Order: sequence, then structure tokens, then C-alpha cells
Amino acid sequence: MENIAGTKSSLSWAVHISVAALVLIWLFPTVGLFVSSFRTADQIATSGWWKAAFPSEQNLTLRTDPPSTQVQKGGQWVIEGNLFGDKRGATISVYGTSSREISTYKAGETGKFRNGATITVQPNGDYVASSDTKWKGGRGPRVFVTAVTPPEFTLRNYQMVLFDPANREGMARAFFNTLTVTIPATVIPILVAAFAAYALAWMDFPGRALLVAAVVGLLVVPLQLALIPLLSLHNDIGIGKGYLGVWLAHTGFGLPLAIYLLRNYMVGLPRDIIENARVDGATEFQIFTKIILPLSFPALASFAIFQFLWTWNDLLVALVFLIDSTGETTVMTKQIVELLGTRGGNWEILATSAFVSIAVPLMVFFAMQKYLVRGLLAGSVK
Amino acid sequence: MKNMLYAGVAAVALSASAASAAGHLVFTPGEGDFNWASYEALKKTQIKGEQVTVFGPWLGPDQKLVESVLAYFAEATGADVKYTGSDSFEQQIVIDAEAGSAPNVAVFPQPGLAADMAKRGFLSPLGQDTANWVRDNYAAGQSWVDLGSYANPQGKKDLYGFFFKVDVKSLVWYSPENFADAGYEIPKTMEDLKSLTEQIVADGGTPWCIGLGSGGATGWPATDWVEDMMLRTQPPEVYDQWVTNEIPFTDPRVVDAIDEFGWFARNDKYVAGGSAAVASTDFRDSPKGLFTSPPQCYMHRQASFIPAFFPEGTVVGQDADFFYFPSYADKNLGNPVLGAGTLFAITNDSPGARALIEFLKSPIAHEVWMAQQGFLTPFKGVNTSLYANDTLRGLGDILLGATTFRFDGSDLMPGAVGAGSFWTGMVDYAGGKPAEAVAAEIQASWDAIK
Repeated sequence: MENIAGTKSSLSWAVHISVAALVLIWLFPTVGLFVSSFRTADQIATSGWWKAAFPSEQNLTLRTDPPSTQVQKGGQWVIEGNLFGDKRGATISVYGTSSREISTYKAGETGKFRNGATITVQPNGDYVASSDTKWKGGRGPRVFVTAVTPPEFTLRNYQMVLFDPANREGMARAFFNTLTVTIPATVIPILVAAFAAYALAWMDFPGRALLVAAVVGLLVVPLQLALIPLLSLHNDIGIGKGYLGVWLAHTGFGLPLAIYLLRNYMVGLPRDIIENARVDGATEFQIFTKIILPLSFPALASFAIFQFLWTWNDLLVALVFLIDSTGETTVMTKQIVELLGTRGGNWEILATSAFVSIAVPLMVFFAMQKYLVRGLLAGSVK
Repeated sequence: MKNMLYAGVAAVALSASAASAAGHLVFTPGEGDFNWASYEALKKTQIKGEQVTVFGPWLGPDQKLVESVLAYFAEATGADVKYTGSDSFEQQIVIDAEAGSAPNVAVFPQPGLAADMAKRGFLSPLGQDTANWVRDNYAAGQSWVDLGSYANPQGKKDLYGFFFKVDVKSLVWYSPENFADAGYEIPKTMEDLKSLTEQIVADGGTPWCIGLGSGGATGWPATDWVEDMMLRTQPPEVYDQWVTNEIPFTDPRVVDAIDEFGWFARNDKYVAGGSAAVASTDFRDSPKGLFTSPPQCYMHRQASFIPAFFPEGTVVGQDADFFYFPSYADKNLGNPVLGAGTLFAITNDSPGARALIEFLKSPIAHEVWMAQQGFLTPFKGVNTSLYANDTLRGLGDILLGATTFRFDGSDLMPGAVGAGSFWTGMVDYAGGKPAEAVAAEIQASWDAIK
């Protein structure tokens, strides 16, 4: 018996390694995004996220304290302090006093400014700058240091996206708006598609095969084609832009796949059960509600997950059918795009918003994922 | 569950509208050197409760700014003004107009699209009074009227676009302290700028940061370079002919202007990262090289909006400053200025939309934004001492003192060229393709849409 089933293949290690490698490859971008969401815009611009967890050597441009803090000591005007201010922890190796020579002096040595003033910088950033003449200007002179800085992470991005008073209201509203869009836009197509799929799978009527073929054909029609005609139709019949319009649009765009998926699953259900029910005098509606629906639950759940994720992540359909010029009906995706600013490029906000917005889909996914695999195989295995 | 949701949505929506109704004005009426008389005059127009929807390209901080300006209109007239922004404004306004759900007022980032919309009959003319007003009150008024006037479906030309908020493009940004460290002077002529470029290389530095990357719009910063060079090597009339394709792209004068840009961008020693990095560097990251240690570059040519992309904590005026991208001393073409701007147009006519355009003619609309940030205006009737800082005032002076003002040519060309083949052509050019070949390709794409 041991030799027949359930034995471990001698190549199982290869399978494990390739699975692990695949998982890593899939996770790689997400991990990068996750790490980036805890970094500032300047950090993202200067070094890769994979360097974020390690101390790094950086060339920094720092300033001494402003001349207003100078004191007179033995005929010299002296400014004292620490270049890093409150954010200590970095170790300076070399420094310079001009942007053209940033590594002239070792930490601990005394360097010279162009105007003849001197400065001594210690490895921990403490400095003493002294001059024969009074320091002038509103800001201290620049000191260019090469320092090993400890890794630094910040929660500021999340604070900005979730709790910043300027965004909070809009974000909360967008969250509820998105739910208002996604829940009906998931439920309606499933309801319609379940009836249609049953009819196409188990009810005999002329033209059934043609209808199935038409549904399959609709799968390949890009929804972008329908945007403007559909919106003018909505305007003509008085729906305009709004929730009803976006529900209808999502329903329409989601139905072909829903019907196709559910029909293929229902076709695979045992014929005997249905015929027994018919013999026992069950109506089609009873068969549908009492037998087919409970048995199709995995397929329904998996399509629900798909449709939910699509509508949750959707920006295009919402922009066209929902968001009118009053801006009251914004959704999460739109809100995130707005956070990016007119010319975009705020990577830290983008990364953070991505994680904020996937929170709900993740919950839905983990709550229903045990149905997903079964549903995915719907109709493919008998 | 659903009822609860609706209740939640309703509550959120209610609280949101309550907040916006409270309407906080950034500057209290009556205080400061603002033209409050023009604000009081607005109160004569009472359109209480009428909704005016405005749709534009501004998002994030810019959205807050435009809302702060519109708040004065709302407060004075009682109108209910709603602004929404979109990063895909160009596409969405077309969809909305086609389907008949256009906002009252749309803010176009460039005239090309507005001209297109006017031709298809989606815009309402602003009338002769507004045209006269712009001609009389804007510096170089006639050129602003021309830029805002388009043909309607019947071919009749009218003023459709009202320019509000202008960007100056002919600027070079630099770090004054880095210039001081190296002992460089601000160049006054193009000859000086070129010798400074060579000087920096001789001193072992890299003079320029140039980045053309911009996602789907990659290449546009280079079109600005070429337009600036065109204005500095040829009279403005030639520029106008080029923009309307009366002289083709393959004209030697245009090819020369492209090669003038190449003088800066196609020399590995002149550009941070080498000329190969020009096309791949994002324009938003490019200026950061001015502030690194040691500096990756000393100069960056970009429009007046670019300080938004300087590293956090950079103080414009101290850490960074600008000078006018100079003209050739020996060509005698004056001081041409290249600029761009946004224009307001009525996409869904209503008394409220008309009132909003009237509001834009009052000094207060300009002054409120000027006194905050990122706003320049050619309106001569504003108090320029209200500019939030000297940098903005300096930019405003460049605008008011321009001997020649020309609008960003790529914005005036047909979309397929100005927002298509010109961009991609410049990326090819930066990658090493000869100027003649690039020009021929762009001209071919222009011929194709004639």
C-alpha cells in the first residue's frame, strides 16, 4: 500500500523550493510597497526600499544653529550645538565646509570655512564653530557630512492618509461611498446570474446553445466601448450619474463572466438529483432554490469575491457613471488619486494608500478564501 | 444592514456639507491690502443656493487653493460652488460633455483641448464684454484673447476661454549657496550661460539636471526646451508659424532649435547621469539633484511650479532660487518668455457660471491665490505686493515685463503632435537620433492628421 498512494516523491524538495520561490516572487513587489509606505518621500527618492532596514552611509547637508545663538568667548564668536539636532544616532566619518569639497576633514579635525571661520565636528555631530567676526545672516553655514545613519521608519504617511484633518473627512466618506457601490454591485449580478445560469444549464428551450455562445462572446467585449453610449442612455432615461447608474453598469459588465462561471458549475451538478426532484413534482423554482443554490455555493462565493475585488478597485466605471461634478460621491480609488496631487509622483502616499485600500478586500478574501479554490475549479473538473 | 449603510452615508454626507457650508475664508474681508471693494461689489449678484459645479485638473494642495478662492465667490453671492479635480481631466471632460453631464465650468490645462471642445459645440462663448475686458486688463491682453478664442461648429470665432493662473516656463533654478561656493555668477545672456556650462565642466562639476520622464507624457520637458530655444533663435512670428505648421518641423530653423537643446542635453558631461539618463529620469525627481551632497548638478530649467518637487524643507529664495533663462545678446530678440496657463470655460451655461466668470474678473479672485502660493497672473489691476514671497513677485515681474510672451507651443499644436509625436520624438532625440530624422517623423505625423 505504501508504494501506491500518498508516498513522498523523491523530488518533493524541488517542489517545495519552487513553491517557495514562486511565493517570494509574488510577494516581492508587495513587500517593497509595504516597506516604502513607512518611508518619507526623500528616503524613497534617495535609496531603494531594500536598503531601508540597514544602517546606510549617506552624504548629508546640515546646518549649524543660526547666528542668533552665537556667544562671545575670549574674543571669538562661537556657535555650539549638534548638527543632527534632536535626531541623534548617526556617526560622522568625514565632513567638509563647501559643496565642492564635502570630505576634506576627518571627524574630530578642525575645518575652515571660506570666510576664515573654523569648525570642529565630532563623530556624534557635536560641533564648535568660531569666528573672529560676528556670524551674520538668518541661518547657520552649511556643513556637508558623510555619516552612517541608522534605519528610520515613520508612521507619518499613514497618519496623513487616515487621520489628517484635511483628508479624514473625505476618506471616511469615500469609504462608505465605496461600500455603497460595491455591495449592491456584487449582490445584483449574482442574483441575476444565478437564475440565468440555472436556465441555461438545466431548462430546455430552443436557442439555449446560441444564448450560451452569446454570453461567451460578450466576455471579450471591452467595457470601454460602452462607456459613452451607456452614459448618454443613463442621461436620457433620467438616471444621470449616481449610485443606480453605477450599480447597473457594474452589473452589466460583470454578468457575462458570472453567467458563464455559474452555468459551467451548475452543468456539472449530478443530473440524477435534479431529475429525481422533477419526478417528485418539484417546480423549476423549487429545484433552483432548494437544490441548485445550496450546491452552487462555492461558485457563488468565488464569483462574489471576484466581483467585490473588481468593484472595490474600480476607478474607471466610477468616474464615468458615479462621480458627478458636485464631488459628493467620490470613491476610495478616486480619493487616493486626489492625494497624489496635480502632477502626481507622491510615492509614499501611493504606497500607503494601497495598503489602506486593500484592507477590506483582504478581509473579504480571508473570510471566503476556502470557497475560492473550489469555485475556481467550477465546471472544469467533473 | 443596507439601511444602516445608507444612514451612515447620509450622516457622513450631511456632516460634509455642513462643514463646507460653514466656509472658512483664508483672509478675513476688510483686512490687509486686498481689493475688498471688488469683493463687496460681488455681493450685488445674488444667486443664493444655486449650484455651480467646477471641474478642473487641480488636485491635492492645488485643490485646497482653488477651493479657498472659490469660497469668496460662494460667500459673496450665496452660490453653492463645488470643485472637483481629476488627474485624467482631459479624458473625463470629453466623456462628460459627450454624454451630456458636463459641469457648469471646466478648467482646461491647455488651449488645444478647449479649442477642440469649442469646435464640437460643447462650450458657450463668453461674449464681447469679456474679450474687451481681457484685452484691456491683462498684460499682453490681445495675446490672451487670441489664445482663448476658438471657432465654433459653424466656424465663427468667439472668446471661449478665460485665462486664470499662469505658469512661467523660461526659468533656470539653482542653489545660490552652491553658486557661491563655486564662485559662479548668474548668467545674463545665453552666451554667458553656455560658457558657465563649460566652466562648470572644467571645474569638475555637472552643470545640468534634465529629466524628461513623466509616465504617459514622457518627453514634454524637452518640448519646453525646444520652444524656449525657438524663441531665442528666431523672431516670435516664426514661432507662431511653427506652432500652426505654416513652416514645417523639418525647416532648418526648427531643426536648429532642436539642436540647441541638444547642445545641453546630448553632452554626457553637461547632464547629471550622462545624456542616456535624460529620457529615463523622472521630471519630478530631476530637480532633487540640485540639493544633493555633493551637488549632482548646478542648474535646472523648469517652469514656476517645480518648487513643489524640491526636497522637503527646501526654502525657495534661500536654498533655491531662479534666474530668467537668458536670451542671446547678439540676436537682438528681446526677452521672450514662454508660459502656460489654465483657462476657465463654460461647459454648461447657467447664471451661476456667468457669475463665476465675472468673479474671475475681480482683483480679489487673483489676490487671494497670489497671497498663498503657486499663482501668477497677468492681470494688471492686482496689488503685486500681495505675492506671498519675493520669488513669486519676481516671477510675476518676468510675466509683466516680458517683451514677447508666447504660449507653450506643444499645448497649441494638435493633440496628436503636441501631446504625442513631439513628446516621443524628443525622447528619441535625447536618445541619440539625429534632429532631422526626428523632425521628419513629427512632420509626418502632423501631415497625417491634416
